[in-house]
Amino acid sequence: MKDLPDFNTMSDADFRALAREFVETNYPDIPRYSLSRLHWDVVKPWYLILSDHGWICPTWPREYGGMGLAAGKHLILIEEFERFGAARVNDIGPVMLGPLLLKYGTDEQKAHYLPRILSGQDVWAQGYSEPGAGSDLAAVRCEAVLDGEEWVINGQKTWCTLGMDANWIFILARTDKSVKKQAGISFLLVPMDAPGVSIRNIENLELEAEFCEVFFDNVRVPAGNIVGGVNNGWTAAKALLGHERVFIGAPRLSAAAMARLEKIARRAGIWQDPVFRDRFVALQCDLADLGDLFETYVDKLRGGQAIGADVSMLKIFQSELYQRISELMMEVAAEGSGLTNPPEGDRQLHAAATYLSARPTTIFGGSTEIMRNMLAKAVLELPS
Amino acid sequence: MDGVTSEDWIDNARMIVDSARAIVPADGALDRIRATRFKEPGFDRAVMAEAGELGLFLMRVPEEDGGLGLGMREVCELARVLGGGLLPEPVLPAMMAASLLGPDLPEESMTGALVLTLAWQDATGDLGWQGGAADGRLSGRKVAVPGAEGAHLFAVTTSQGVALLPRDTVTITSANTLDGGKSSAITFDARADLIPCDHIQAVLQDASLAQSAYLLGLSERALDITLDYLRIRTQFDRPIGSFQALQHRATGMKISLELSRAAIFATARRFDTGADAMARARGAARCKLRAAELAMLVSREAVQMHGAMGITDEADIGLFIRKAMTEANVFGTPRALRAQLAQILDQ
Ligand SMILES: Cc1cc2nc3c(=O)[nH]c(=O)nc-3n(C[C@H](O)[C@H](O)[C@H](O)COP(=O)(O)OP(=O)(O)OC[C@H]3O[C@@H](n4cnc5c(N)ncnc54)[C@H](O)[C@@H]3O)c2cc1C
Repeated sequence: MKDLPDFNTMSDADFRALAREFVETNYPDIPRYSLSRLHWDVVKPWYLILSDHGWICPTWPREYGGMGLAAGKHLILIEEFERFGAARVNDIGPVMLGPLLLKYGTDEQKAHYLPRILSGQDVWAQGYSEPGAGSDLAAVRCEAVLDGEEWVINGQKTWCTLGMDANWIFILARTDKSVKKQAGISFLLVPMDAPGVSIRNIENLELEAEFCEVFFDNVRVPAGNIVGGVNNGWTAAKALLGHERVFIGAPRLSAAAMARLEKIARRAGIWQDPVFRDRFVALQCDLADLGDLFETYVDKLRGGQAIGADVSMLKIFQSELYQRISELMMEVAAEGSGLTNPPEGDRQLHAAATYLSARPTTIFGGSTEIMRNMLAKAVLELPS
Repeated sequence: MDGVTSEDWIDNARMIVDSARAIVPADGALDRIRATRFKEPGFDRAVMAEAGELGLFLMRVPEEDGGLGLGMREVCELARVLGGGLLPEPVLPAMMAASLLGPDLPEESMTGALVLTLAWQDATGDLGWQGGAADGRLSGRKVAVPGAEGAHLFAVTTSQGVALLPRDTVTITSANTLDGGKSSAITFDARADLIPCDHIQAVLQDASLAQSAYLLGLSERALDITLDYLRIRTQFDRPIGSFQALQHRATGMKISLELSRAAIFATARRFDTGADAMARARGAARCKLRAAELAMLVSREAVQMHGAMGITDEADIGLFIRKAMTEANVFGTPRALRAQLAQILDQ
């Protein structure tokens, strides 16, 4: 385990400088500013460097090998990495499973799985969605039946981001059909190389295989691979969302897109055009307001306050803003809006790439419509 | 971070807001607002006197000049409450005028015995405020002067400073506004002392931010009323608030509202902790844009969601759309504000 300093006692400015220096000094020779997710074979060197320095799991407590960063510091880290254009590593283990195990895992589970995430030995995929269970996640049908000391799993998962690169997947499986649908779900850990697991890649709109389907045909895992107790998977899976929701709503995607939009407009010779400026400024105001709203949540996190269901407002506004920016980009790109190749080889100035990469942001992690449903009920207290 | 973490303002603001309950009832009753509208002079001078007694006009006057020296966060909290109560009295303009005048603020307008208002705008649809000073005289026209019909004193901004004009030196032309008040232009041609003032632009930015907070308060209240209605009104055997089409639009209002609140209070904090001129210009314009959009959005959605009830004058919600329409473009239409922001884009 690394002997790391307590970053939280540093000033924000000092930590920012440290994070910047870290990424500038250590970033390997792999792409920067990639709009799509990079696969494990490409991004692995960066994962291992982060891991070697003890920086791979920023939010985990230090005694488990994390950096123990408070929310505000975590955000600075993200900002500095994004500013540099560092690739996003396969973070389902560090970001999703790790915190869940820390909260619900047994001591054995923590001792076994956490170090393997830290070292990059295990790469995880998330198996929540199914063809018939998307927005209505509690409708999962993939089934696990206890047979002696083993769970026998049958069914299908889909939309597993970078699932083809993973050697483990965690799934929500139905373990009791006789109760209310949320109540009969368990959280299971499954090795991807177990007999009976097969996957099929799915190409996205950018014609890249970013996610896949995973099929389970009489897949057997030990009874101990359940996390948080039988039929308690829904609670465990939902409890994860807390802090991460704030980061999903961070203005960084939109901010980066605005910078690209400015470059594209300058190159297109319309930067001074009053009609363009009117629209640009309106978006810029939206971005600044989003930044201020985001800060109110970060302040809450800094002050140790709980984040409520209202945080989904951030994600709704950020993802829709990102899309609106990408829409203006397409207009500015004019007749070049349908080009497959980035103009002059600069993917940063490729309107279509931003446009396409903005599409899923209103769908994954809870679609805009579902978030609005939740807001209406939980925050506005409108009736069902 | 701005280095200033003092949360004193929260206590200050609570006190101010509590005291403001003397002029804005805590139970949200709008009877007085109804009774005052469409009557001369469009507001109640006694309420201005009460606001003076409460010290509200002195909030932005520095302590060394005998004021309260409070920040924009406190002002915005107050403005929210005034907006929620649809207060027609020109409390905010008087406060801003006092901030311009500082030590030259007449005692009687401090106490509200004489109603002071602010006359800054040279032409409608335009953010110019420097007209009026000519060859040692004060001569010109100011538009959209709030509360002019009932004012005793006008603080007039010019390129050479602020002039304090008594009512008998100005000619007032008024038109009726939808909310039951007046929109007035004043013309003047008089000898007057020009008080040098280097912070006129800054005060107008403060005023614009306060106006945004007023619109925020108005919108908050309109949304609350609407949500209540969505909960109790049943059709097809269900409360209409259970229909997703309405829920999603309600959440759209809520998001705009929270963005507006975050932007206004973050901007107020920046103002209070020393933003530079550019940051002030941007912040004021941005908040005003958002708040105007918010007030227009919430009030028209509110009417729609009330159905035919929303069209009636007896439903309170109608007071909100009328007020929003009257107040939204004060301190700049969205077009003018975006044009202003576009101009400073490369600076
Ligand atoms: C890029 C990407 C990566 C993903 N990665 C993963 C992953 O790693 N692991 C994983 O498990 N899942 C993943 N997902 C799946 C994601 O969580 C689901 O796509 C999402 O929950 C929506 O489900 P669905 O696609 O089945 O849409 P559906 O549920 O079929 O919805 C279709 C449309 O109808 C709307 N809709 C549905 N119900 C309602 C309602 N009641 N009211 C109003 N509108 C409604 C939705 O908002 C949506 O617009 C990923 C998705 C994407 C796009």
